[in-house]
Amino acid sequence: MSLFATRGLTVRFGGLTAVDHVDAGVEEGETLGLIGPNGSGKTTFFNAVTGLVPATGEVVFRGAPLPGLEPHQICRRGIARTFQASRLCLGLSVFDNVLIGMHTHVRCGLLEALFRRARMLSEVRQALKQAAHLLSLFNADLVDRGFDPVGALPQIDRRRVEICRALAAQPRLLLLDEPSAGMSPEETVELMKDLQIVREEMPGLSIIIIEHDMFVIEGVSRRVVAFNYGRKIAEGTFAEVARNEEVREAYLGRGSGTEGSARA
Amino acid sequence: MIGVWAVELGLFVLVVAALLAERPIAVGLTVAAIGILLLAARTSPRLWGWVATAFRTHRAAALSGAAVLALALPFFLRASPYWTFVATMALIYVTIGQGLNVQMGTAGVINLAGAAFAGLGGYTVGLLTVRLGFAPWLAFAIGPLVAMVVGALLFIPILKVRGHYLALVTIAFGFIFNILMNNLEFTGGPQGIKNIPTLRLFGHAFTTAPTLFGVTLPSHANFYYAALAMAALVTWLAWRLYNSWVGLTLNTLRDDEIAAKCSGVSVTRHKLLAFSIGNLFVGLAGAFYAVMVGFVSPPDFDFGYSLVMLSVVILGGLDSIPGVVLGACLLIPLPERFRMLHEYRLLLYGAAIVLMLLFRPRGLWPAGVRRYGLGSPAGSFGAAGTRAEGVGVSR
Repeated sequence: MSLFATRGLTVRFGGLTAVDHVDAGVEEGETLGLIGPNGSGKTTFFNAVTGLVPATGEVVFRGAPLPGLEPHQICRRGIARTFQASRLCLGLSVFDNVLIGMHTHVRCGLLEALFRRARMLSEVRQALKQAAHLLSLFNADLVDRGFDPVGALPQIDRRRVEICRALAAQPRLLLLDEPSAGMSPEETVELMKDLQIVREEMPGLSIIIIEHDMFVIEGVSRRVVAFNYGRKIAEGTFAEVARNEEVREAYLGRGSGTEGSARA
Repeated sequence: MIGVWAVELGLFVLVVAALLAERPIAVGLTVAAIGILLLAARTSPRLWGWVATAFRTHRAAALSGAAVLALALPFFLRASPYWTFVATMALIYVTIGQGLNVQMGTAGVINLAGAAFAGLGGYTVGLLTVRLGFAPWLAFAIGPLVAMVVGALLFIPILKVRGHYLALVTIAFGFIFNILMNNLEFTGGPQGIKNIPTLRLFGHAFTTAPTLFGVTLPSHANFYYAALAMAALVTWLAWRLYNSWVGLTLNTLRDDEIAAKCSGVSVTRHKLLAFSIGNLFVGLAGAFYAVMVGFVSPPDFDFGYSLVMLSVVILGGLDSIPGVVLGACLLIPLPERFRMLHEYRLLLYGAAIVLMLLFRPRGLWPAGVRRYGLGSPAGSFGAAGTRAEGVGVSR
């Protein structure tokens, strides 16, 4: 049985069906690539899964249904995500941005904050250690800059911090929404290495990654799902999906699609 | 190092001078000197570095200096009960400012009804003591709780409202409070509630002039010291709150609600928490004001005061605990110092806010990066030092 599966997941905004009866799933430890042209409903799919937009249909995660839960409850169940447009708190420190990811695991509350400092501080120290470990997986310099505001970091490091924040929640399923968005080709190569590090360090973690960069998709995921107009139009290995007639049409238009397949 | 000490000494002298100067010219000069220093610090990073190091490396010294100054102030002001009263008001505003700062600075929950929540605290004390005969201390303890509970009840229906709309709802609440107090029979209408009994501590009534070290101080000095204790306690609590998971969670909520939600933060619960803690502090200050003045009436909790409270937080620096203290200590006494300008001195508030937003939008004392009070070794404030000392990351 798969770790995560949707059946007939549908999101409607008024008359527009942004996600249309999508069946998709991911196994434990698997990386699934999610591709499709702009506006094909990939991000909306993530938003529906994480409870940010209301959806109909079935979502089963670790054997239990998810629909109807608030985003913070879904996070508690073990789904963490990043965003296409960075959603870091730029004024807060690098460490703080990672630490908030651990929110669901934090034991100390208001009482400890005000009157049992020793207990709270030992938990904070532990968390900082863990954050430093996560950051050093990608870039050891980030640990040195741990108390700098995130706004002072270059784009790629911000993306890394965001991935660290998601990983800090110790999720079972990680949703990456176009991590290479706004990156130069060199940075994209570095980011791919980072994703491989995540793969090696956390073999049990399942990942769904939205990407426009086919090079990244080919590099990190064995199985790929393609979306168009909110529907799933293809599923299979990268090579299979890349050969798929409908996928080529969606990306390249009708004429070039047939031409391409004819040559292949 | 010499530079650092010079900066510290210079600042201390200027602060003392500003507090003690009597003649308008002297006041103007010291204020101008502080202004020039701040401007110089802004244009020269080196000088700013000195100021920053001075405050960081000798935090204990700076804090004890401030404490000594605060404790000794009534002795300098003993000839003038009025100035003792103004100093007490500044401390009350420190308390209010810390409350509003938890809401607006840390959690981003706008509250433009500060005066109404202070009024809830004050009126509760008045009603309980005068109308129902409660013991003053008991009423004083219940006042802030009422402000907190009413705030929470108000907050539940407006949870879905955010940003400017939340500001409008709180403004409306402020006006409703004022209109109710003006028109309700049992709150005394426009006359308010008179003869609120004063507090007594170990048999010493707060209205009798205290004699300390053989010096007789005006009776307002009682309230000054009590307000000092209250402001110190609330500031201490606010500092601890800020330097904790709760502070971090509220900051994330303020900066990016969606990111916070997806990190597992319950938005409702934490906004309500911040709003309640803030109103508790504001209500406490209101209750204190009621027992100090012995009288509450609707104009004491006017919308205008909500704006003054807001100015304190903005001037000092949103989300900055020391900034709030600085903001209140500047904004409350300064207009009194400029009484010779008559009504025009109220322009100072407006001018101060405009100048702040133009030149220092993050306040006079901007919030720094959260360090959870793990401290950093003296002299080295770099991340490397902190890492070795505070975080204990070994590589």
